[in-house]
Amino acid sequence: MSTKSIRIKRYLPEQADEAYWQRYEVPVDDSTSLLDALTHIKETLDSSLSYRWSCRMAICGSCGVMVNGMPKLGCKTFLRNYPADIRIEPLAHFPVRRDLMVDMEVFLEHLAAVKPYLIDTAAENTEPYRQTPTQLARYKQFANCINCGLCYSACPQFGLNPEFLGPAAIALAHRYNLDSRDQGKAQRMAELNRHEGVWSCTFVGFCSEVCPKHVDPAAAVNQGKVEAAKHTLIALFKG
Amino acid sequence: MQKSSDALPPLKRTWWLKHRYFVAYMVREATVLPLLFFAACLIAGMIALLRSDAAWSSWLEFMSAAPVLMLNGLALVASLYHAWTFFQLFPRVMPLRIAGRTLPSQAIVAGQWAGVVLVLLLFVWLFTGGAR
Amino acid sequence: MKKSALRRQAYDEPLWWGLFSAGGVCFAVVVPAAILFLALLIPLGVVSLDAERARSLLFSLPGILFVGAVVCLPLFHAAHRIRHGLFDLRLGRDKPNKWLTYGGAALLSAVALGGVLLGMLQ
Repeated sequence: MSTKSIRIKRYLPEQADEAYWQRYEVPVDDSTSLLDALTHIKETLDSSLSYRWSCRMAICGSCGVMVNGMPKLGCKTFLRNYPADIRIEPLAHFPVRRDLMVDMEVFLEHLAAVKPYLIDTAAENTEPYRQTPTQLARYKQFANCINCGLCYSACPQFGLNPEFLGPAAIALAHRYNLDSRDQGKAQRMAELNRHEGVWSCTFVGFCSEVCPKHVDPAAAVNQGKVEAAKHTLIALFKG
Repeated sequence: MQKSSDALPPLKRTWWLKHRYFVAYMVREATVLPLLFFAACLIAGMIALLRSDAAWSSWLEFMSAAPVLMLNGLALVASLYHAWTFFQLFPRVMPLRIAGRTLPSQAIVAGQWAGVVLVLLLFVWLFTGGAR
Repeated sequence: MKKSALRRQAYDEPLWWGLFSAGGVCFAVVVPAAILFLALLIPLGVVSLDAERARSLLFSLPGILFVGAVVCLPLFHAAHRIRHGLFDLRLGRDKPNKWLTYGGAALLSAVALGGVLLGMLQ
């Protein structure tokens, strides 16, 4: 077993106002993930290190960090793919609270704003929902989001304007708009058809590059522009 | 506690220099700058046509000056780079579905390049005798 | 009150985005051939185009379509990208930038289309 050197951007607000870099030597083999390395540091080298994690299998979405400037999930990033000089920072575009932990409140607010749940206007409906495989296929790709926030760290438009709803929230809105069981599209379009909705996006496309679940949020946002344009035309004709 | 979104300074003006991917994005956005030059040339040519035959000749002379040719050569390269990026985005923005199945994006990209060739052939036909 | 201001609908954006998209298609499909012939092959003398034939081609109904596809729509495409580019570089404020970019595109488009109409009347 060999070792590798990892630099971590530390931020301990009760000790210093500024963040600083700290180097750790960690033992690695072919199966060592970045999350394994962080756990090793925490348990044997430096118990003051703070980071989030839970499932270790790319489904909970809590271990997002920047690895050499790229947003990545710690559990899905293997140190064997990094020859030397591994720089770990907290996710970009979010306020840092401590070490690798960021405040995701604004992201959660944006997610809630698009009403990411089935809206059925016939409330007394007691029948089970039925859906054909073709109807499922329309939105299935966009349903794979795990809310890890990597796309927000990849999105310069969110970095320039945190009011922008952002990739994951708009992809999730699109997922429900495409669902045959849902009737909430009009409510969500009011949220999407704003400057801070789909129209802030310039299709940089980096969100889709970093998405660990291949949701392609950039496609969802831009399909949302087509929908917002239709929504506007309908609103014009209805007066 | 202050609102989380207020706690962060916005990105610096140079954010796009930090990553290759963002530089490529900025190059894509900048393809419109030589396009603007070409459009200005065309409008000038049209005004020359409205004025006189002599004005048209001096417009042709202006267009054959080395810096102008170079800028328009850059515009051609920019338009092809734009096409390469734009054609890939199209099937993602408007996935075409036929009989419940999504058309493969390679087919849509190829179809758009066929459009470029078709327009080129139209210009060849217009300017090299066929249409006279 | 703040809530309703935040929910303000961007009813103008579909128009700008529609023009941007249409212009993007023209920029990609029609403009390369136009640059190759009008700005490279003809000035270099590889292909010849005298004033009389240029007038008969341009000052016509197909000429209007040509100007729309090679000048007007690509200008609105460029305006949209420049507006967002200015925002990306944090230059100016979005509202005046919109007037400047889309207004400039509209003005130049009017000049170009007006020129064709003038030529058709001559």
